[in-house]
Amino acid sequence: MIHLQNIEKVYRTSTIETLALNNINLDIKKGEFVSIMGPSGCGKSTLLNVMGLLDEPSKGTVQLDGQPVMKYTDKELAKLRNQKIGFIFQSFHLINDLTVLDNVEIPLLYRATNGKPRQEYAKEALAKVGLSNRMKHFPKQLSGGQKQRVAIARAIVGNPHIILADEPTGNLDSAMGNEIMTILQELNNEGATIVMVTHDEQMAKRTHRLIRLFDGTQVV
Amino acid sequence: MIAHLFKLIWNKKKTHSLLIVEIWASFMVLFGLATLIVVNVRNYREPLGFGYENVWAIGLKANQDTVGIADKLQRVQQRLRAYSEVESVSRMGSNVPFSSSQTNNGIEYKKRKILADFYATDENFAKTLDILVPLGHWYRNADSVGKYTPVVINQNAKEELFENENPMGKIIGDRFKVVGVIDNFKAKGEFMSNKPAVFELAKVDATWVDTMLIKVKPGTDAAFEAKVVKDIAAMVTGWSVEVDYLTDMRKNQHNLVLVPIIIALIVCSFLLINVALGLFGVLNLSIAKRRGEIGLRRALGATADGISIQFIGEIWVLATFALLIGLLFAAQFPLLNVFDVNAGTYVTAILIAMLIIYGIVTLCALFPSRQAANIQPATALHEE
Ligand SMILES: Nc1ncnc2c1ncn2[C@@H]1O[C@H](COP(=O)(O)OP(=O)(O)O)[C@@H](O)[C@H]1O
Ligand SMILES: [Mg+2]
Repeated sequence: MIHLQNIEKVYRTSTIETLALNNINLDIKKGEFVSIMGPSGCGKSTLLNVMGLLDEPSKGTVQLDGQPVMKYTDKELAKLRNQKIGFIFQSFHLINDLTVLDNVEIPLLYRATNGKPRQEYAKEALAKVGLSNRMKHFPKQLSGGQKQRVAIARAIVGNPHIILADEPTGNLDSAMGNEIMTILQELNNEGATIVMVTHDEQMAKRTHRLIRLFDGTQVV
Repeated sequence: MIAHLFKLIWNKKKTHSLLIVEIWASFMVLFGLATLIVVNVRNYREPLGFGYENVWAIGLKANQDTVGIADKLQRVQQRLRAYSEVESVSRMGSNVPFSSSQTNNGIEYKKRKILADFYATDENFAKTLDILVPLGHWYRNADSVGKYTPVVINQNAKEELFENENPMGKIIGDRFKVVGVIDNFKAKGEFMSNKPAVFELAKVDATWVDTMLIKVKPGTDAAFEAKVVKDIAAMVTGWSVEVDYLTDMRKNQHNLVLVPIIIALIVCSFLLINVALGLFGVLNLSIAKRRGEIGLRRALGATADGISIQFIGEIWVLATFALLIGLLFAAQFPLLNVFDVNAGTYVTAILIAMLIIYGIVTLCALFPSRQAANIQPATALHEE
């Protein structure tokens, strides 16, 4: 599903050069639930961004569904992100000026989906995360766990095969974290491929496979 | 996507209210200015209705002299006609074309009463000013028989008084008999609106008909002007003689219209530049604040161009809100007929003002929206 080969990512600023990823070789199979762990600053987010086609590696090749994406245009990459990948972030990244329903509809705005079915899909996605009764609320009126469930609904509304979650439980207490983890496991059971960055060993244990990073290098 | 942007802006209307008021105010000012300009452009495109090249106005004032004024005026006219440089001479009241003086009177025909500009002239007036008379003829002294004074009216007066009726030979305002109809007569220059005008044959003994319009041969210069002034002064001692070229008077009339418009244009430009800079600043700031959202949208499938278009779209939505409010106000002018300006002029002015507003907000949004498109999604998401 996702194939990374000899990935290297260097961040250059005028003063320093950071080697965020160093010779990463990874193969994420269809239907897998993989977790990534490692100390802060070791390159976990960078790795997820490279997989999610949000960031270009300095070296190496990225393949999605067997297709190398290195030569893709911005438009083609945007289309792949929209159709194949769902993102979940530690800080939720909800748009505060939009209702829950409008937030969940956003990925569908970037494809030609009509207003009516768009709302239907968004409502279905919200039902899946148990937030049907919060559709007209604004993000500010929700708890952290509820916000993250909205973000999950947004990630799955377009039926992507791959879900990339960057510390989805990092801002939540353990009860809420468990709730989120349960939803992710359900999605995985329904066939979604999930890659999740986490600091929590307990969460990692509930996934199929664990990848450990240290200073940009894969150690397990 | 448009509905999405409307929602986004609508939900943020409080933060944007100042901007909306600014855009609305700019629209109102632009609408006023555009109306002024459209009115004048429309007037300008209406033909003037007479020729003014090589026509001089000679104003005569008797001052202390009280003896035989009318007779002296007639002699001056005859003397002027005798010069080989002079093609035609006409005697009229002081409201010569492009002058600042004007005379108007109410006039009536079959209960239809209008206000018209009145000119007391003689039989040479049409010839001196190259006025064509499509219907009937310019009055002659011989037309003055019985108790009626012959008059010529312009097309505008004809339409308002007679509509489709034939005006020839009709009596208007008790003592005037129509002998001819001319097209336009816009005495105050091209920017004047085409108004009803009535020309009556002046009585030869009217002492107040004391201005001579002379049409000189092309190329006649100031030396001749000096000679004329000297000759007249010798004929009528104690009188003052003043010569004005109609071409110069026309320029003065134009300046009277154009100068206020130009001042308004300059003031308006400053206002718009101010609003534009404010808008630009607000947009730059809002994009800096919304880096996270930009990164997120890219992650969810927006292209760099899509982000750029979104920001321009948002400002258009904002402008549309402001313009809708502005339209509510602007629409009152044609609906209530506040000034004597036709609805088409207002509609044109509204469209022009809207176009300029959209143009300005687009220009202001162009650079910030490009900045937004260049934001790296991974970096932007990383920051929060
Ligand atoms: N946009 C960037 N510019 C410069 N350095 C960056 C950027 N993004 C990440 N880094 C650096 O790359 C390294 C890995 O970062 P990141 O992948 O965010 O780590 P993690 O998610 O594991 O905490 C860190 O040293 C970080 O400072
Ligand atoms: Mg991170």
